[in-house]
Amino acid sequence: MVTSPLMCLRYCLTESNNLLLLILLQNLKERSSAEFDRMLRMGRTRLKIAYIWYLVCFFAVYCDADDANEINIWPMPVSVSFGSGNLHLSNNFELITEGSKFADASGILKEAFSRTIDIVRSSHVVELDTSKIKPSLVLKGIHVVISSPSDELQYGIDESYKLNIPAQGNPIYARIEAKTVYGALHGLQTFSQICSYSLSSRGILVHQVPWTIADQPRFSYRGLLIDTARHYQPLRVIKKIIDAMAYTKLNVLHWHIVDTQSFPLEIPSYPKLWDGSFTISERYTVADAAEIVSYAKKRGINVLAEIDVPGHAESWGFGYPSLRPSENCTGPLDVSNDFTFKLIDGILSDFSKIFKFKFVHLGGDEVDTSCWILTPHVKSWLQKQGMGDSDAYQYFVLRVQKLALSHGYEVINWEETFNEIGSKLNPQTVVHNWLAGGVAEKIVKAGLRCIVSNQDKWYLDHDIRWQDFYSNEPLENITNHQLHSRVLGGEVCMWGELIDAADIEQMVWPRAAAAAERMWTSYDKLAKDPSDVRSRLSHFRCLLNQRGVAAGPLEGLGNTRPFGPGSCYTK
Amino acid sequence: MGKRRLEGMFHWYLVFIFVISANAVDVKHLNIWPMPKSASYGYRNLHLSNEFELRTDGTKFADASSILKDAFKRSIDVVRSSHVIEFNASKIDSSLVLKGIHIVVSSPSDELQHGTDESYKLHVPAQGSPLYAHIEAKTVYGALHGLETFSQVCHYNISSRGIQVHQVPWTIADQPRFSYRGILIDTSRHYLPIPVIKKVIDSMTYAKLNVLHWHIVDTQSFPLELPSYPKLWNGAYSITERYMFADAEEIVRQVNRQFYAKRRGINVLAEIDVPGHTESWGVGYPALWPSKDCKQPLDVSNEFTFKLIDGILSDFSKIFKYKFVHLGGDEVNTSCWETTPHVKKWLHKNHMNGSKAYEYFVLRAQKIALSHGYDMINWEETFNNFGKKLNPKTVVHNWLGSGVAQNVVKAGLRCVVSNQDSWYLDHLDALWQGFYSNEPLTNITDPKQQALVLGGEVCAWAEHIDASDIEQTIWPRAAAAAERLWTPYDKLAKDPEKVKSRLSYFRCLLNQRGVAAAPLDGLGREAPVEPASCYLQ
Repeated sequence: MVTSPLMCLRYCLTESNNLLLLILLQNLKERSSAEFDRMLRMGRTRLKIAYIWYLVCFFAVYCDADDANEINIWPMPVSVSFGSGNLHLSNNFELITEGSKFADASGILKEAFSRTIDIVRSSHVVELDTSKIKPSLVLKGIHVVISSPSDELQYGIDESYKLNIPAQGNPIYARIEAKTVYGALHGLQTFSQICSYSLSSRGILVHQVPWTIADQPRFSYRGLLIDTARHYQPLRVIKKIIDAMAYTKLNVLHWHIVDTQSFPLEIPSYPKLWDGSFTISERYTVADAAEIVSYAKKRGINVLAEIDVPGHAESWGFGYPSLRPSENCTGPLDVSNDFTFKLIDGILSDFSKIFKFKFVHLGGDEVDTSCWILTPHVKSWLQKQGMGDSDAYQYFVLRVQKLALSHGYEVINWEETFNEIGSKLNPQTVVHNWLAGGVAEKIVKAGLRCIVSNQDKWYLDHDIRWQDFYSNEPLENITNHQLHSRVLGGEVCMWGELIDAADIEQMVWPRAAAAAERMWTSYDKLAKDPSDVRSRLSHFRCLLNQRGVAAGPLEGLGNTRPFGPGSCYTK
Repeated sequence: MGKRRLEGMFHWYLVFIFVISANAVDVKHLNIWPMPKSASYGYRNLHLSNEFELRTDGTKFADASSILKDAFKRSIDVVRSSHVIEFNASKIDSSLVLKGIHIVVSSPSDELQHGTDESYKLHVPAQGSPLYAHIEAKTVYGALHGLETFSQVCHYNISSRGIQVHQVPWTIADQPRFSYRGILIDTSRHYLPIPVIKKVIDSMTYAKLNVLHWHIVDTQSFPLELPSYPKLWNGAYSITERYMFADAEEIVRQVNRQFYAKRRGINVLAEIDVPGHTESWGVGYPALWPSKDCKQPLDVSNEFTFKLIDGILSDFSKIFKYKFVHLGGDEVNTSCWETTPHVKKWLHKNHMNGSKAYEYFVLRAQKIALSHGYDMINWEETFNNFGKKLNPKTVVHNWLGSGVAQNVVKAGLRCVVSNQDSWYLDHLDALWQGFYSNEPLTNITDPKQQALVLGGEVCAWAEHIDASDIEQTIWPRAAAAAERLWTPYDKLAKDPEKVKSRLSYFRCLLNQRGVAAAPLDGLGREAPVEPASCYLQ
C-alpha cells in the first residue's frame, strides 16, 4: 500500500492506479488541514518538511478534484494527447455548427448534443454559476463540423472523428470534426467522458485540457445480440440497451426477434404469424419495430434483423400450421412445402421496408432434420427430388439466401452453413461464427466474410469473465493482412433463455464493454494483459451506474452480486 | 354427434369467444395494484384521445410548482410508452373518445407530511359529450394516486393501435389503510447514484408507497455532505461516491421542478443509526471513536459526539422536512466502551455500565431530535431494552421478529412494522407470498392500539445490493407488501395465490415501464428458469 506522500504523488502520475488513488487521496485530504494546524506549532525544519508534505497533499487534492490523472475513456481512442488544465463547462453550454455541411433536418446531432449534456449533468446537482467565472476558464460550447450532408447510416460508413479541446481562447469552444454525423456522435460520447462533476467547484469540469483526439474504429461491425423470443423485452428496455451501446461505441443491434418459443413481431404480409407470441401484450407492432430502428439510428446504431431458418422456427406454425412437417413433428420448417418459401419471401419483403441495414440474418444453425425424414409427405418429397436430408438443408439455406438477395439484402448465416455447405454459399454471405474460436481463419481463407462470436469468449449467457471478453481477438491466426478486411468485426450474444427485463442489463454490462474496446481500439493500443485496463473499465462500469445502467461488478461471472459492502471502484 | 356433445361443444365455443374477447381487452379481472378500497366497473371501452388533456376548473389547488401538471404528463407518457401509438382518435365518434381528465383538489396546500390525506375518487363515465374522467381529492397527493390508478386502467389495444380505457364506467373510491408505507434503501454499504434513487422513487409511486427510508450512513461509509461538520463525508468510499447537500435536497424537496420525492407524494425519512452503526463517522472526526482500535459505538463519554449529532440534525432539519427522523439504535455492542480506558473511567464516574450508557446515549439523542422539531423513530432494541424510558413520541421500528408490534402498542408507543422474516428484501428466501401475508395488526384488536401502528416498511439492506441489482431485489416483492399496506383488510386475499395473476400482471407492467422487476417464481431477484411469457413467471 501507499504510505508516503511521495508515493502518493507517484500514484497520482502513473497510469494504473487511479482508484486506489481516489481512496488514498481522501485520507490525505482529511489530514491536510490537521497538518496545517500542527505546522503552526512546529519548529523550522519540521515546518519545511510539513510544508512539502502540504504541497504534495495539495497537489494530490488537485488530482483528486480532477478525478482523472489518467485517461479514463472507454473504449480507448486511437490517438490522444492531453494537458493539465481544467475548464468549467458553461451553464449555457452550446452547440454551434458553422461551416458544417450537415443540415441536421431530423435533429440527430442536436438531440445527441442535448443527451450528452444531460447525462454529464445527471450525477449531481450543478450549483456552480459559470457566468461569474472568468471566460478564459469556461468552455462555452462545442463546435461540430461535419463534411457529409447525408444522414444515411449503413455498414461501413465513416465513423471517425477528431476532438479538440483547447486550453485557451476567448471564448473557448471545443471542436469536433467528422466526415459523418455518426462520427460526430462518437466524438460527443468521448467528450462526455472527459467531463465530470467537481466537488470543489460544484459544477462540471472538463479535465486535462488541451485535448487532441483522433479516433476511428478498428472494425466496422461491433455488435450485440438480443433475443426477444425466449423472453419478450419491452420497448423501453430495448431502448435502454441501445442507449448503453452508444456509450461503448457499439454499432449493431442484432435483433434475434423470433425463435422456437415465440414469434412476437407483426408481419403484415402474414398477419397470423404473431399468433405465436406468448401473449397479446408481448408483441411488437411494425410501428414498434420501426421505432426501434429509428431510435437506434439516431444513436448511430444499425439494427440487424434475424429469422433463424429452418431450425429455430417452431413458433411460426401457431399461425400457419402447414409450415410444420406435422403436428407431432413441428420443426424445422417444412422444406417440401412451397408455402414455406412464399412466406419467407413475404417476411423479407416486409423486413425490407423497416430494416434498412445492408444485411439480414438468416440463421441456419442447429438444424435437426429428423422431422423431415420421419414425416411421410416430406420423406416422399425428398425421395422424389433425390435429396438426402443434408441436401435438403443445403437446398433450404441457399433458396432463402436467394430470396434475401432479391430484396436487396446481403446475407449473414450462422457458421453451420459454412461448415456443411461452405463452398456453395453465395459469395456475398457473411458467416457468423459461434461454435468455437479459430473459425474465422478458415472462413476468410475460403473467400467469405466473417463475424466473430465464439461462444467460449463472447456469449454473455455463459459464465465467462470480462477478461476473456477483452482478450478475444477476432483476427487471431490470420497472418495474411489482405484477409483482415474480410473479418467485419464481432458480436457479443445475449441469448434470452434465462434473461428477461429484470436481469438483462447486468448480464450485458460491463462484459460487453470489454469486448467493445477489443472491436473499437487499434490493436497496438489494446492491453496484452487485461488487468492493465481493469481500473479504467471499473471506472467505466461506475459511470454506467451513474447513468442509470445496471452494470454489474467486474468480479465474477456476469450475473454476480457484489460480495460485500464497498466502493463501486473496487468491485 | 349426439346432442349432448354438440351442447358441450357449444359451451366450449362460448368459453373460447369469451376468452378471446377478454384477451383482446387484455383484462378479464380488475388488474389494478394495489387493489382500491372500492371499485365498480362496466364493460365498455373508450379510446384515449391523442390530445388527452388535464382540466382543473373548480379546483382550489393552484399548482404553482406544477406538481399536478407534471404528474399528469408522466402518467400519460407511461401509458403511451409500451407501444407506438398509430391510432388517430380525431376520426372517431366523439362519444367513444375520452377527451381528458378533470381533477378537482379541495386543499390549496402542497404540504406533504405524515398523515396527509391521500384519498381520491376516480370516475370514468361511459357517456357524455365530450367525455372526461374525474378525480376528486382532498390533496394533490391523493390526486396523484388517482392518476396512478387511472394509468392502470388504460391499455394499449392491438386492434385500435391506440390506448383504450377499459371496462368503463368506472367508479373508484380509494384511500390507504396505513399512512406509513415505506421502503428502506441503504447507501452506506453501496453508494447508489442519484439517477438510481430517482428510479426507485418513480417505481414506488406505481405501487402507492409513500415513505423512502434513506439509511444514508453506516459503519462502512458516510456519503452525505453535512455543512456543519464538513469532514464527515471524508468517510465516503471515494470522492465520486458522495451526495452533495444539494443532491439530498433535490431528492427530497421541491425547490425547483427537478425536486423529486415530494413531487411524487413521497416523504423521505433520513436516518443516522447511533450509536452502533457509525464507524465511518470517525474517518473525518477520529475523536468520535472510543479509540483507534475500537471504532464503534460512538464515544459516549465525549461531549463532542452529541454536539456533532446536534449539528447533523440541525442540517437535516433544513432539508428533511418529514415529521420523523430515524435515530437507529440497533445492534449496539458496548464492549468498546467497557474496554477503552477513558470511556471506562467515564462510565465509572457516572455510575453507568454498558447498557445504562446505551440508554443514556439513545435518550440524549432523542432530546436533540426533539429540539429540532422532529418526532423520532428508533429500532426495536431501544424498546426491548428500556422501552419505558423512551420519549412518548417515539415510534418503535420493529425488525427482529414478528409479534413485537403488539407489545409496542400495548406500551402506548407507536410502531412501524418490518419484521425481517417477512419484510427484509435482502433475505432472498423471503418470498412474495410472505411479503403479501405479513399482517401489521396481527393480534392487535383494540382500535386505539391499532391506530398506533403507523404502517410498515420493507428493507433493502445493501450488503449485496448495488446499482446493478437493486431494482429486481425490491420488485415485485415490495409491491406485494404495498398492497398489504394500502388495501382494506377485508379486501386482502387470505390466500396469496389468489392474487398471483394480478401481481404477475403488475410485475410485467413494471417491466414495460422500464423497471427491472424480477419473476414471481423462485427466490428474490432470481433469473427466470426457462423461456416463457412474463405473465407466467
